[in-house]
Amino acid sequence: MLSPYEMSSVIITGSKSVQQEVIEELHRLKVIHIIEHSKSELADIGAPFESAIKLSEILVKIRALISSLGIKKEENKFEFKAGLLEIGQSTVKISSELNKHLEELKNIEVQLSRYYLARQELETLKEIDVPLEYFAPYRSLSYFTGYAKNEQSLSNIKSGLSAATKNFMLLESIAKKKPFIVLFVDSKAKDNADMILKSNGFSGINFANISNLKGSAAQNLKKIEEDIKRLQKSKEETNRKIELTAQQNKDFLLAAESFLAEQLEKAEAPLKFASTRSSFLVKGWIPTNNLHSSIEKLNKAGKGNIYIQFEPPKKKDKVPVKLKNPKIAKPFEFFMDMYSMPSYREIDPTFFVFLTFPIFFGMMLGDIGYGLVSLAVFWLLKRKMPKARNLLNVLMVASFVTIFFGFFFGEFFGLEIYHPVVSREHDMFTLMFIAVGIGVIHVNIGLIIGFVNELKSHGLIHAVYAKASWIILEIGLALLALSVLEKILITPWIGAAFLGASILMLLKGEGFRGIIEIPSIFANIVSYVRLAAIGLTSVILALIINESAAEFFHKGGFFILAGVLILVVGHVMNILIGWLGSFLHSLRLHYVEFFSKFYTGGAKKYHPFGIKDY
Amino acid sequence: MAADLGTGLIALAAGAAVGLSAVAAALAEKEIGVAAVGAMAEKEELFGKGLILTVIPETLILFGILGAVLILRLAGG
Repeated sequence: MLSPYEMSSVIITGSKSVQQEVIEELHRLKVIHIIEHSKSELADIGAPFESAIKLSEILVKIRALISSLGIKKEENKFEFKAGLLEIGQSTVKISSELNKHLEELKNIEVQLSRYYLARQELETLKEIDVPLEYFAPYRSLSYFTGYAKNEQSLSNIKSGLSAATKNFMLLESIAKKKPFIVLFVDSKAKDNADMILKSNGFSGINFANISNLKGSAAQNLKKIEEDIKRLQKSKEETNRKIELTAQQNKDFLLAAESFLAEQLEKAEAPLKFASTRSSFLVKGWIPTNNLHSSIEKLNKAGKGNIYIQFEPPKKKDKVPVKLKNPKIAKPFEFFMDMYSMPSYREIDPTFFVFLTFPIFFGMMLGDIGYGLVSLAVFWLLKRKMPKARNLLNVLMVASFVTIFFGFFFGEFFGLEIYHPVVSREHDMFTLMFIAVGIGVIHVNIGLIIGFVNELKSHGLIHAVYAKASWIILEIGLALLALSVLEKILITPWIGAAFLGASILMLLKGEGFRGIIEIPSIFANIVSYVRLAAIGLTSVILALIINESAAEFFHKGGFFILAGVLILVVGHVMNILIGWLGSFLHSLRLHYVEFFSKFYTGGAKKYHPFGIKDY
Repeated sequence: MAADLGTGLIALAAGAAVGLSAVAAALAEKEIGVAAVGAMAEKEELFGKGLILTVIPETLILFGILGAVLILRLAGG
């Protein structure tokens, strides 16, 4: 609590002959946070093991298979004892099986799309009783197929053609709600016919996809429908086969993926090492309480060919941070992750966030009903999305506090169910004073933490100048205000003296910037008014929802249904807004108002070699 | 509830205090939000910080609310 795990800096040097064994052991131990070596004149980075190329090749194939088979990642307990060779062979086998199916699928789809086009064309010709083989090139005969604009232009075409030539045959039908015509005409009159058609808004169409069919369109249509049905069936079958392949190989692929990823991580580990022709060097950090057992195991693995040096961190070292908190506060480390890891030597504020975040959230949402709904929803979500576990745990704690505050405010879905300790609706001013009071306390806790941090890093004098001065400033102002308002009977000069002293200290501790910052501390404290204000908007929205629903209930009959709808939709909306508002504003009060009093942050998170990214 | 002109003006003043400070906050947040989204496009981990930076000007509205409360208390009785 309050400070992270103690770390020790470790340097492992050894002969390349035992490099692999050492890496295996490091991977098994999962304790060392490796500091990557960057190439320098003294030593190059190491070369990955030869197996790395082969490994990544198979890994890429497996990942491609996983994605094209649509396999979802999940926990699996597949027992896995295959070697690289077997994995490679099985992968090739699965992949060729899949490719066969995919090829099949592609062929079917190409054929299907051709049939779809043909079907479309046949449907257009369905009612024209001309065998399809008649649509062929002739020497003395020409034909046109296409749509006339409307009935009027159709009759124009007819009369025009009759005037131009005797040798024509016009077949007509309705397709797609437009007059469709097929015109056979003597090729001598072709140009003439063409002109007549064009001038009457005729748009021709080609039948490219049915040129090799024989017999009537209706017959062919029937046949093609059957073909399409058959193809669709075999498409489904192929898809089922692919799914079956996925089902059968899911466990193997997932297990192989994680196995290979692990092997590859080991094979590529030397890239992080410094290396000479015959030796390697690893720099890193190990939590001090694991140090000695780890060194023992590493020495055993190194067979006497390695040398391990360790020491506590020096002042300038950038130590990776592994936060240490009691189990109940652990989910709140999420907020540090999201913001920035506290540096190794400063106070880890997770525990303070754990204490105050739910209170702020609960005070803003503060409703028994909303709290119960939140609790249920977050509990369900936690089961659905185990990845967001930390956030949802935080929110569940906050929901409990919301229920507690609900009792305090006497609110149940906006209804005042009994006379509350403090009513958010009527005692707004009281609540605002409480909020500002909380602000004073919270900001000062921040200043005290800042004091301790400064004390550790820069000594007492600087700590007093930079942090205690703020507290003296507040005391001075409070005394000044109270004495001027004659609430306490002392001379205002005492307050003024405190104020003056604090300004001088600030100037010394934080420089001119400190003076400019003076108003900010009041802005920070006023900022806590939001604890009351956000709650007020939430209550008033709830009241409006309840009142408008009540109006409908009074009308009776069908309106009762509408009233219920308003209640449900309204409160769901209000809860959603409430979550967003309460969460963000509570978070903001911590990050902006609280953390700005002490936090430096910027450390790297401790991420030991061998632990998978998450 | 028959409201006279004075009550109306007080209500108007209180409303303007909150409304105008909200407009100011919105303008400030707009700029920050744009920059934050830009930064997030480059580096997704900045979501947390971007969010926080974006809500910083929200305090302005609280000053507006305080103003409105004072107006209501002093003038509205």
